Amino acid sequence: MPVKQNRSEGDRADAFGFMFPILFFMSALIMVPVLGTLADSLYRDVTYLPRKFIGLENYLALANDPAFWKSLRFTFLFVAVSVPIEVCLGLCMAMVVNEAFPFRGFVRATLLIPWAVPMAVSGRVFELIFNYSYGAANFLLHVFDLSREPVNWLGSEIGAFAALVVTDAWKTTPFAAIILLAGLSSIPGELYEQAKIDRASLVQRFFRLTLPMLKPVLIVAFLFRTIQALQIFDYIYVLTGGGPGGSTTSLSLFAYNHFASGDFGYGSAASVILFLIAMSLSTFYLAGGAVRRTL
Amino acid sequence: MTKEERIKKLVVGAGAVFTLLFCLSPFFYMILTALSRHTDFLRPETHYVVTFSHIHTVLTSQSIHFPAHLRNSVVVSLASAGVAVFTASLAAYAVTRLAFPLKTFFMLFVLALSMFPEISLVGYLFTIMSGLGWINTLQTLVFPYVAWTLPLCLWILVSYFSQIPEDLDRAGLMDGCSRFGVLRKIIFPVAAPGVFSTGLLAFIVAFNEFLFALMLTTDHSARTVPVGIALFQGLHGETPWGEIMAAATVTTIPVVLVALIFQRRIMRGLTRGAVKA
Repeated sequence: MPVKQNRSEGDRADAFGFMFPILFFMSALIMVPVLGTLADSLYRDVTYLPRKFIGLENYLALANDPAFWKSLRFTFLFVAVSVPIEVCLGLCMAMVVNEAFPFRGFVRATLLIPWAVPMAVSGRVFELIFNYSYGAANFLLHVFDLSREPVNWLGSEIGAFAALVVTDAWKTTPFAAIILLAGLSSIPGELYEQAKIDRASLVQRFFRLTLPMLKPVLIVAFLFRTIQALQIFDYIYVLTGGGPGGSTTSLSLFAYNHFASGDFGYGSAASVILFLIAMSLSTFYLAGGAVRRTL
Repeated sequence: MTKEERIKKLVVGAGAVFTLLFCLSPFFYMILTALSRHTDFLRPETHYVVTFSHIHTVLTSQSIHFPAHLRNSVVVSLASAGVAVFTASLAAYAVTRLAFPLKTFFMLFVLALSMFPEISLVGYLFTIMSGLGWINTLQTLVFPYVAWTLPLCLWILVSYFSQIPEDLDRAGLMDGCSRFGVLRKIIFPVAAPGVFSTGLLAFIVAFNEFLFALMLTTDHSARTVPVGIALFQGLHGETPWGEIMAAATVTTIPVVLVALIFQRRIMRGLTRGAVKA
């Protein structure tokens, strides 16, 4: 079919022109920096010292650096605690706003607010909320008589960890709810009608119908949130600065601190580790059916 | 009404109240602090006295530079969103209309890019921008932000463009339009709401970005609001909470209004893209 062949050859030439700008931006500002970071991680690259190729020495140094292992442990612990809370609470919120009630549109709109406010800004608000002497958190604990002494939120290891989990949950739970709401509203209503006719209880309908139908979206939300939470930086930088005693230094902050002090080789090596962890999870994400279906 | 239905109604009502309180209470606390003479107004012995002095200080002080940060943020976010939407539209047109090899691979690759940790780019971006002599300029942020918002824009626009029937294109091509002419004169007008939502999302994502701005700017000539507020410290040790919350309020209220007004559009965009927080 000569005509069709002609068309697709013309297509290819046109396609290159249309794709050129996006390919330029993505290679120059994403691929080049990532490969540059990878290359930097093989060098001794410290400000004021001559750059020198040292192979895997930065990685060996990381393996022997207790601060690196501490930050890796904190990062995983943070993900393991915050992501399940966020997704489960997000599912509850999604199920609530999926029902019909007065002012539902307004409640749905407020879900967007934590997402739309810059994390550096909401981070400062939560820094004040967790202030030891006059923050709202200790005020509420006092009013409801939950704690005799004010809690030293940002100055103790457990307090700082909890404060970060709460702050991150505030930002991402409503976002998880928005994603899950899209999944919920795509479950056909007839299925629920049928389940009611079959006299399935509310609880049965949730476990036998909602949860299985929502499984693909839930998996996507979990993986997506995990990949994001692994990279946490903004809230930690603002709320705890990685403290107290380095106990809340995430991998991103660990790498940033080395960049900021001028050690680009070591910071790059730590970034590459985080990159590899995030990308290995992304493979699962990309392999997931939910992505393919939209193509 | 059965007992079960009554319980359900009660749970939904309580859940709705909880959701509202959850999302809004930090926001109200921020405004209350911004308008209070004393930061410790929650203490029983402290009275709440309304004052606009914090907001006034933040908007006029020569040393805080908040208006400069705000202007930088708006300029950078507008420019990045504009370039990103235009670039992504071209690509989305090619993806939905033209046959070319590795298309599916390209879409998945873009999705993978969107999940790269920012920290794995920022060190080398600093090296590149230093080499160009661009540190502490606005373009040092615009270029990375365009690249950073492109995956989200592309995925959303592809989903909008693929809903436009190709017969419309063919009619345009028959009339002698070029491919670009079809995009400009037919696709853009038809997909205008989608293009607008995409731009809005790109703007918000760029406006909220923190790490690149922290690393690539050094003072108020290019510093953006998130970095300005994060680094906002008092001169004499005591944290100026009133001023910080005033700056936060001035920044947040327009964002919140936009979110409330364009709620449906943003949600549709987010769930279509579902790529990035």
